[in-house]
Amino acid sequence: MIKAQNVYKSFNGGRIKVLNGVSLEIARGDFAVILGASGSGKSTLMSVLSGLERADSGTVCFDGMEISGFNDKQLTEFRRKYTGFIFQQYYLLSHLSVENNVRLGADLAGNKDFREIIKAVGLEEKCKRKPSELSGGEQQRVCIARALAKKPQALFLDEPTGALDEQTGRDVLDYIVKLKREQGFTMIMVTHNENIAQMADTVIRINSGRIEEVIKNTSPKTAYEIGW
Amino acid sequence: MVVSIKDSVKLAGISVICFCAVFVCTFFINYCVDAAAVADSVTQEMSALYQGQLATAKFSCALSGGCLSLIAFVMLVFYIKLYIDGHGRQLGILKAMGYKNGEIALKFWVFGFGVLIGSALGCGAGYAAMPMIYSQMTVEGLTIPVKFHFWLPIAMIALPTLVFSALSCGYARFALGRDVGSMLKGEIKKSKALSDKKLSEQNKASKTEKPRAFLLDMGIKTLSSKKMLVFFIAFASFCFSAMVQMGGSMYDLNAAAMGPIILAIGLVLAVTVMMIAMTAVFNSNTKNLAIMKAFGYSARECAVTIFTGYIPFAFIGFGVGTAYQYAILRVMIDLFFKEYSLIFDFDVAIFFITLAAFTVFYAAVMLFYFLKIKQISIKAVMAEN
Ligand SMILES: Nc1ncnc2c1ncn2[C@@H]1O[C@H](COP(=O)(O)OP(=O)(O)O)[C@@H](O)[C@H]1O
Ligand SMILES: [Mg+2]
Repeated sequence: MIKAQNVYKSFNGGRIKVLNGVSLEIARGDFAVILGASGSGKSTLMSVLSGLERADSGTVCFDGMEISGFNDKQLTEFRRKYTGFIFQQYYLLSHLSVENNVRLGADLAGNKDFREIIKAVGLEEKCKRKPSELSGGEQQRVCIARALAKKPQALFLDEPTGALDEQTGRDVLDYIVKLKREQGFTMIMVTHNENIAQMADTVIRINSGRIEEVIKNTSPKTAYEIGW
Repeated sequence: MVVSIKDSVKLAGISVICFCAVFVCTFFINYCVDAAAVADSVTQEMSALYQGQLATAKFSCALSGGCLSLIAFVMLVFYIKLYIDGHGRQLGILKAMGYKNGEIALKFWVFGFGVLIGSALGCGAGYAAMPMIYSQMTVEGLTIPVKFHFWLPIAMIALPTLVFSALSCGYARFALGRDVGSMLKGEIKKSKALSDKKLSEQNKASKTEKPRAFLLDMGIKTLSSKKMLVFFIAFASFCFSAMVQMGGSMYDLNAAAMGPIILAIGLVLAVTVMMIAMTAVFNSNTKNLAIMKAFGYSARECAVTIFTGYIPFAFIGFGVGTAYQYAILRVMIDLFFKEYSLIFDFDVAIFFITLAAFTVFYAAVMLFYFLKIKQISIKAVMAEN
């Protein structure tokens, strides 16, 4: 579903080289983890794969579309149709209620059943609250609902549990995996946590902007089985 | 959805300016129209006074309406820019989700709301003040009846609201045209001037830096990263200088009725713009200030660091305002009072009075923000995102 070939990406006019010839392939319905130390280029790789940023060279294909050649307008259209995002920082709109934050996602897909998804992340009782009146784990669940309400084909997560404690982090991961099983989207998650990587079908290890190894995991663990 | 009505209420400054502009224009335009309607019954000996009153009305209208709309426009753009910079991450996530720039920009129509409120109140106040103005601007032997013209409130309220809403959307569309990645990372749009070369120089400098230089360094960085704010402090000073001196000069020009009005508008305006500018300086530095306080810097040191750099620019603004008001009065007098050979000279006394008042005013504003810095709660600031 996602295929990157020889992708390069640098910042500050080529001085900071972040991705140095990355090639990878992620199958439809896969749960892929991009694993690497802080600063290894994980977030940048995710941005390029998801159409948030363009690569300097190389190609990125999504479902046969060569998104690396898209202009801004086409990329917007692409993200709108195909992708969902969850970040370590929640980026919720602080003046909107939980419900309306989720609607921001739902409206893009014309999804009228957004209450279902709020229910699925266990927040129906708190749907009138503002993000500031929620705990960190609850806020991240709003983000899950917001991303999934838009019915993405691929869900991109950048350290989704990075700001959460162990128990809350496990709960959040469990929600995500459960919803993935129900809805069957492809999942690409960035993390520096080796243990979380054990939950994935595919682990892509990145170091200094290069793919070090790709491991297929035959028996992924659940959020409650992994160490932390 | 993206921008709440609350955000537009914060634009009280623009409401105030619109209030002033619409207030003045409402009664003067009404006066001009009513006076024009009775032009036939103006006799030879009334003519001079009649023309004079009409000229005064047009003059005041053009002056306040034109100046104030321009100021309101600049403030609106300024505010939207600050809003987009301050909400970069939230707007970035919308872009990441696939909202188009145009779709997001359309939500900025809400900023026209402050204009609506200001204009509506201004129009109402204009009608309320109308009898008083008509009784001031009489022409002996001629009755100018107060008539209601239905198009006037529409033009005075709907027009500015629509124009400013459209402007808000248009400018927002322009300002949103940045790449998503940098917005999500919370980068404020960098000007080309802050190039890589400068950055590396700064890095080099910071390595050899003495600890004492930290405050100075931060002060300079604050200034150079917020050029827009520098401009606005200067602009606020400009308004103060121009409007207050203009109000004073009105007495010399025998347009005494207009003197207090322009003076009052000038003061309100200067205070509003200055407050907005200073609040922006303060808000965009709260995090830095909180960290400085956490490190143990005193509120005084913080205030000096953040605000001192703006002082020269404030006085430059004041100087430009002085020149501007002199020039515009000249032009306006030539335009509207050609036949009267009015004598108009630069008023040194008014200049110094205004300068003194401005210095006191600026010091008071600094004091106010010094007290605010004292109250910054480090924990509350750090807890936000
Ligand atoms: N917009 C940017 N401008 C300059 N450098 C950047 C930018 N984004 C990322 N980098 C640099 O690229 C490297 C990799 O960043 P990132 O992909 O965020 O790493 P990770 O997510 O693995 O921690 C880092 O050294 C970072 O400083
Ligand atoms: Mg990262």
